Amino acid sequence: MEKDFFTGKVALVTGSSRGIGRAIAMAFARAGSNLVINHSKAGGSSRKKAEEVCREIERLGRKAFVVQADIGLKSSVREMIALISGWYGRLDFLVLNAARAPFKPIERLLEREIRQLVETNFIGNIFCIQEALPLLGASGGKIVFISSLGGRFYNPAYPLGSMKAAMEVVVRDCAESFAPRKISVNGICGGVVKTDSFKVLRQHMEELEYIPEELCVSPDAIADVAVFLCGPAARGICGQTIVVDNGLSNRLYRPAWAGEQKSR
Amino acid sequence: MKQDLILEQRVLEEVRKAISEGIDINPASVKPESSLMKDLGAESLDFLDINYRLEQTFGIKMARRSVLDHMEELFGEETAIDSDGKLTDKAAEVLAIRYDGSGYKLNAGMDMDDLPAMVTVSSIVEGVMNLLDTLPEKCINCGAQSWNLHEETRIHCGSCGEVATFTSGDDLIEIWLKQVQENKKIF
Repeated sequence: MEKDFFTGKVALVTGSSRGIGRAIAMAFARAGSNLVINHSKAGGSSRKKAEEVCREIERLGRKAFVVQADIGLKSSVREMIALISGWYGRLDFLVLNAARAPFKPIERLLEREIRQLVETNFIGNIFCIQEALPLLGASGGKIVFISSLGGRFYNPAYPLGSMKAAMEVVVRDCAESFAPRKISVNGICGGVVKTDSFKVLRQHMEELEYIPEELCVSPDAIADVAVFLCGPAARGICGQTIVVDNGLSNRLYRPAWAGEQKSR
Repeated sequence: MKQDLILEQRVLEEVRKAISEGIDINPASVKPESSLMKDLGAESLDFLDINYRLEQTFGIKMARRSVLDHMEELFGEETAIDSDGKLTDKAAEVLAIRYDGSGYKLNAGMDMDDLPAMVTVSSIVEGVMNLLDTLPEKCINCGAQSWNLHEETRIHCGSCGEVATFTSGDDLIEIWLKQVQENKKIF
């Protein structure tokens, strides 16, 4: 790796007060970057968690700021980018990690749930890309989208998967159209990660609990790939969504949890 | 059966601990009447974290789905929440029975997004107590009728050591809803 590539550069990780987003923010900090920690809800526990992430990053000797912004609102995204521009004067890495969705079958979604699903997980990500583009263009920046296996495989209560699939196409499109501006765009398709969201999903899909530990992937394993995709070693990767699932999706002929379930 | 190995005060302490660890706040600020969302700043993901901690503590299975979800499953779509996300008359009637005497103001037409704010520390304590009170008379493994307490929160068979199994939160809600329907014929 080019020495000190990440030092002094700035990463924005959306939805980084907890879970995978938090792990990604920490990984960028360890690599040497300064961070922008984003969360969507004002006044709740996320704010406190986001501030805790900042303090941890500062203990590593990097800078970090919290910006509360609901990415589904264009004006909020615009303000967030303006704040980043004011604080750091640059943005090198945009990690699209924020997501919000109900966990229930598609046919049972209320109209407003469908709209919110699209607003946060599709439109919101595109707002972030659009608004960050000038800063990213100035620095030859990188965009990494966090997708999940639910965008490729059936899950009974995961409408978010459809938005993940749509965003993987956005990754391919933008990689090509931003190439002249030297902005790279890639994605990570995460497997089963035992974060807070997993606790929600497990409530709707009991089988998840029986996936053996060795087929679950840690937030840190995903975070390391996010940093890799933003580094010079990934210069040949363009428009790809890399599966990081500890081999779960590779077990086509060996159902991941069949044996475990029998012994339940 | 009603169990008396784990008392309500103990459950309250554990609920307090789960909440304060789950959302990283001072346990002293967690009062029985506190609304998790309004007073303590909990968000939807925090609820599951708290439930998870309580499951580990007591060996119980908290309800995965709300009373309203169960209502729709048993009595049909839009029986609990209409297409605009508002509480139906029937759902309000059922919830009024469920939370009778709790002081909650539950009205038809309430927005479903406002409902989680009604979850308080004491409503979680009550939920845990109800699950613990599904302790079977006899051990399912050896049939003995003696239960012991291990590590202050886990009930084991005093004869063979088998851990006690409780009715799950979802099953309990379903049983309750069916009873209400039988008695009141709401749906």
